[in-house]
Amino acid sequence: MRKLNYRLVARLAGLLTLTMAGGMVLPVAVSFYYGDGAQYALIFAALLMTAVGLFLRNLVGRHATYDLRERESFWITSVVWITVPLCGALPYLMTGTLGSFTDAAFESVSGFTTTGSSVIVHPEAIPQSVLMWRSMTQWIGGLGLILLVVALLRRLSGGSLKLYAAEFSGTQQKKLHPHIAKSVMRMWFIYSLITVVLITLLALAGNGWLDSVCLALSTVSTGGFMTAQYGLAGYSELTLNILTVFMFLSGVNVALLYNLFTLKWRRFKLNHEFVLYAVIFLLAALSCYVAFSIANGDFTIKNLEFSLFHIASTVSTCGFYTEGPVVWPFWASVVTFVLILSGACAGSTGGGIKLRRLMVLFLYMRNYMTRMVHPHVVFTIKIDHKVVPGDYVNKIFGFLFLYICFIIGGAFLLTMSGSSIADAFCLASANISNLGPSPLINSLGANLEYASLPLLSKWTLMGLMLAGRLEIFALLAIVSPAYWRRK
Amino acid sequence: MKNSEWKAVLRFIGTLLMAEGGLMALCCIPAVHFADGTLPQVGLCSAVTLAVGSLLRYRYRRFRDIRDKRMSYLLVVLLWIVLSFFATLPFLVTGATHSFSFAWFEAMSGFSTCGATIFPDVAALPSSILLWRSMMQWFGGFGIVLLVLALTPKLGINKYALYTAEASGADNAGGATVRTVVTVRRTLTVYLSLTLFFILLLLATGMEAWDAVNLTFTNISSGGFSINSDSIATLTALQQYILAGAMFFSGVNFTLLYLLFTLRWRRIGYKLDELRSYLLLCLAAIAFVVVALHTRSGLPWGDALRLGTVQTVSAMTTTGSVVADYTLWPVPVTFLLMMLALCGGMAGSTSGGLKTMRVLILFRNARAILHNRLHPNIVNPVRLNGRPVSGHITNNVMVIFLVFGGSLMLGVMGLMLCGVSPTEAIGASVGCLTGYGPGLGASGGFGCYAHFSSPALWFGTFLMLMGRLECMTLIILLLPRFWRK
Repeated sequence: MRKLNYRLVARLAGLLTLTMAGGMVLPVAVSFYYGDGAQYALIFAALLMTAVGLFLRNLVGRHATYDLRERESFWITSVVWITVPLCGALPYLMTGTLGSFTDAAFESVSGFTTTGSSVIVHPEAIPQSVLMWRSMTQWIGGLGLILLVVALLRRLSGGSLKLYAAEFSGTQQKKLHPHIAKSVMRMWFIYSLITVVLITLLALAGNGWLDSVCLALSTVSTGGFMTAQYGLAGYSELTLNILTVFMFLSGVNVALLYNLFTLKWRRFKLNHEFVLYAVIFLLAALSCYVAFSIANGDFTIKNLEFSLFHIASTVSTCGFYTEGPVVWPFWASVVTFVLILSGACAGSTGGGIKLRRLMVLFLYMRNYMTRMVHPHVVFTIKIDHKVVPGDYVNKIFGFLFLYICFIIGGAFLLTMSGSSIADAFCLASANISNLGPSPLINSLGANLEYASLPLLSKWTLMGLMLAGRLEIFALLAIVSPAYWRRK
Repeated sequence: MKNSEWKAVLRFIGTLLMAEGGLMALCCIPAVHFADGTLPQVGLCSAVTLAVGSLLRYRYRRFRDIRDKRMSYLLVVLLWIVLSFFATLPFLVTGATHSFSFAWFEAMSGFSTCGATIFPDVAALPSSILLWRSMMQWFGGFGIVLLVLALTPKLGINKYALYTAEASGADNAGGATVRTVVTVRRTLTVYLSLTLFFILLLLATGMEAWDAVNLTFTNISSGGFSINSDSIATLTALQQYILAGAMFFSGVNFTLLYLLFTLRWRRIGYKLDELRSYLLLCLAAIAFVVVALHTRSGLPWGDALRLGTVQTVSAMTTTGSVVADYTLWPVPVTFLLMMLALCGGMAGSTSGGLKTMRVLILFRNARAILHNRLHPNIVNPVRLNGRPVSGHITNNVMVIFLVFGGSLMLGVMGLMLCGVSPTEAIGASVGCLTGYGPGLGASGGFGCYAHFSSPALWFGTFLMLMGRLECMTLIILLLPRFWRK
């Protein structure tokens, strides 16, 4: 078997680390502006990242050939997703925000995977610059680190498609442009544009600049890090409504948003997944509204706003929460739990199983049952008026099976470190779907305080977040014996 | 769905009702022997069931053919429901319970070999009722349908459709091409000899005949009812190990056992992969539980080995006999027991759950997909015992897995909507759907389901039926397409 092209792997990992170091300019600037005293620690962290990056890129990765096959693509994906979050943990450690390495790594992994589970109990009390960095990690991770690589490295041309496929396994994306690098640039463009629009709107709604930026970065990436201990309870209703809209949007396929922006209505209209997404969102929000109102005895507009906010946060796997109605009806928990698992549209920044996969499965099951009665009927599955190949159905089945295995395995490890069975399942599913905190977990009696979880639980959750974000296969590929076997 | 087919279904049900009435009549024996005063009541129930059965059979004696595939699905579901309905009679007439929901839950739990009970103090029940509970499990464990097919091979209905309706598909994945009727005969032979063997074995340890018969009936059928309030906890260590053996055999494919016992070694090849994973999984789980019990709960090695082995085998084969209150054990151990119940024993055994065969195919399929992603041009089918499994069967297994998982989630949520606490809801739905029986919390361990509300109990019986009929048979009836002409 051909040797692994490890120089290329190191070079790409180094390149991304250097980019992170460059990104540290922003928190450092914030730190000088607010005078929060963290500037020197941050500069030191940035220098360390630069050193690591230079080491990887220019020493290990010198003379790298750009010869990239399936093996390298999985390797790069996994290495990048481990190196970058580890480097991203440095600012927390250097500024002393988080004392232990585990905590810092947890916060960083949670950020880059856009999960939003936080071990920082009092976000108000930490330096503004660190808050800024925390939100930035989500934004960078939002579209996926590999998309960043593809955008940064035009030279990869042939290999970028393989890389792209390694990170987004089997959702059958349609490219925006025949040239993969160009279509990735378009995605980054629309992503940045939405971010800027949201920052402006939030600022106009009367929030401080830092707050607006942090919230916007968390929203568009469906991350969900919040800037206060008790969620978003302190923000105005207008702010929350703006967030509702943008959370909903960030659960939509980015390519589709680009079509919307460039006024290609026809392509937008024909997308069945989006229609399903919108319908599910509205139905869930309405049923929760009715449930909240009946349980609390008041049909107020506030309840409607809350249920829209809560469902948008769940369906896009963003994970914001705010002060809701006093009585939390059971129905809302059920809806939330189902939405956590089903997740957002494929190709969005959100997590979960993805609606596109569920659509294919649903159609397949329907056909299967008809075949039980009429054994000789032949079916094809069509989505967006295109036939889905049978091979693809099997892949989705496999994905779903592994997804459930990861939830069960994760829950088992969580019970090993002291969670009850119900809590373990909620924590595992909320983190593998990159949702993070959710009022559902609260209502089931689990603690929202990730800080107090034992060591084993934190590492388990980190593994789940990564597995969910990389859609399992990329992570499993490099640990499978088949990967290492010489043929 | 012609009129005559409906009548044939009724005739079929009538035949089985007669058998059920006969079994009830057998329950008069302990009523006389122990003189517990329930003879008239049980006799009455038996007479009513026999009368209804023979009436149906006589009235529709000329209608024999069921050709429509849909009718066989319908027949299987109707059978379980009607038989369970008549099985509630002894409970209600003798006054063991006065609520129909309770009696219905107990009857369904019996016939589906689930083993969840609503009686807090089983030992206080009259002996006829106790025997009736054991009988139901023994009868149901084998699968009423299989029994019928063995007794009346010339019935002329679409046998294969009927057989697959109850044991949908996975059993045939190994490429075994044995005729259904032969399979059924062999299964019955093995079942009867195992029952006899374990009764004798228990008698040899000095157990009384009454206990030996009841315990063997409920354990060999992977049922799990008991005649003591503390299940099998007060038996001697040897007896517990023997029962663990009975449970273990109840989770092995019966055709395989037949070939093993008749020393046809060469022909067991087609089941070897599944047998191996069943054994390995059992051993690994036992090792984990025993070590956890020793280190975390501080039990001495001997006790840990005994309790761990018996309870793990009980969970893996979805029997549900309880040797110690496992809800007090470390949480990971309880969790593991529940997951083992979900996995279940081998296909073609009396155990419930997803079945080892399916889990094996699921894992191998996931592995094949991984391979394919690394080497996109490789042709790499899922293999079982060295033979490729067709994609059609793999997808069948996946569908059943999904429906099973979906029913479990639906069960948890439904029970929670009925006011059961989250942990207990998880336990109860695993218990009912897989046929394990006891769950977590108050309904787990030596506990019972008496504190469940009526809707929750009905929901539980639905799950039991769902699990026993491998989900698809029941779900297909709910489709509008099924009823369309």
